[in-house]
Amino acid sequence: MKSLLIIITAITTILSSCGDQKSNTHNTDKNSDSLNNSRSKSDTAKVQEYSLNDVTTAYLQLKNALVSDNSKEAASAGKKLSDAMQALDKTSFKTDHEKLYNEVKDDINDHAEHINSNPNNIDHQREHFDMLSQDVYDLVNVARPAQTLYKDYCPMYNNKKGAVWLSETKEIKNPYYGKKMLTCGEVKEEIKK
Amino acid sequence: MSIKKKIGLGLMLVFFVIQFIRPDRNVNPYSNAEISTVLNLPTNVDGVLKNTCYDCHSNNTNYPWYSNIQPAGWFLARHIKKGKEELNFNEFDTYSQRRMISKLKSVLNSIKDGSMPLLSYTLLHGNARFSERNKALVQDWLTSKIDSLSSQKKTY
Repeated sequence: MKSLLIIITAITTILSSCGDQKSNTHNTDKNSDSLNNSRSKSDTAKVQEYSLNDVTTAYLQLKNALVSDNSKEAASAGKKLSDAMQALDKTSFKTDHEKLYNEVKDDINDHAEHINSNPNNIDHQREHFDMLSQDVYDLVNVARPAQTLYKDYCPMYNNKKGAVWLSETKEIKNPYYGKKMLTCGEVKEEIKK
Repeated sequence: MSIKKKIGLGLMLVFFVIQFIRPDRNVNPYSNAEISTVLNLPTNVDGVLKNTCYDCHSNNTNYPWYSNIQPAGWFLARHIKKGKEELNFNEFDTYSQRRMISKLKSVLNSIKDGSMPLLSYTLLHGNARFSERNKALVQDWLTSKIDSLSSQKKTY
């Protein structure tokens, strides 16, 4: 009888402490919400500092990491890219370009985040880099890059369907195969600043 | 009471108590942003996707019996949340056209490399496993859809 009483008390204590815990997590949620708010406020203040140039810089860093088969560095460049993309000030785009911006924004972010969250899977990073490159190309093609870029083409990737990438140098360095096929590919277009 | 008995009783108590902590269920009304309203989905492809993917990639999960037993239900809830964030067939129409293409490409890639459906899922849901025929069916449809969507891509 005594032990039964102890068990019942224990259950009630645990149940009530569970309730407490729930409200506690709720509170911390609220706290982190307000934290996020203040963070996004400071982000808005910073928005002006971000431009398409930061997006291309992060993209090129990612490209060069893949050229050197460095998936860890590619992952961190992916993070930079999604940060730059999220903070990109769309008012810097002309109205007709804004449509394109809205169309590619989430897509670029998605790819950048996947690349960031797969630091040990370079094949997967390259799959996303392929889709990402087309978006970034369209973006810099309408908005003009801050530096001259080259649109390169690798005919082999994607089951020989081919894939493009952007580079800051005329010399071919293939990010899809790295050192396995470093100089494979061709320059398709020069995007002047 | 011996120590062993006490520990056993304690564990039973914990197990009993956690049964009361139940995650919210992924059950929602029909969505008109469903993939079949945007893309022309052949009935057999639609059927395979529903059977193999929808438990985690839609707004409605067909819950197995063990979801009522914790902590199994918690693991399921976490998987479903992550799955929906990644891709939600019921909200396909909310994606931009490019994103649709990217999502379809990712679906194709993950089916090809076997990362989807998750092994932990097919182990318990034998009927969600792809038959070779269904796998080819879905892959062919995806490939042709990706091509046709890509050729319609808006130019700026």
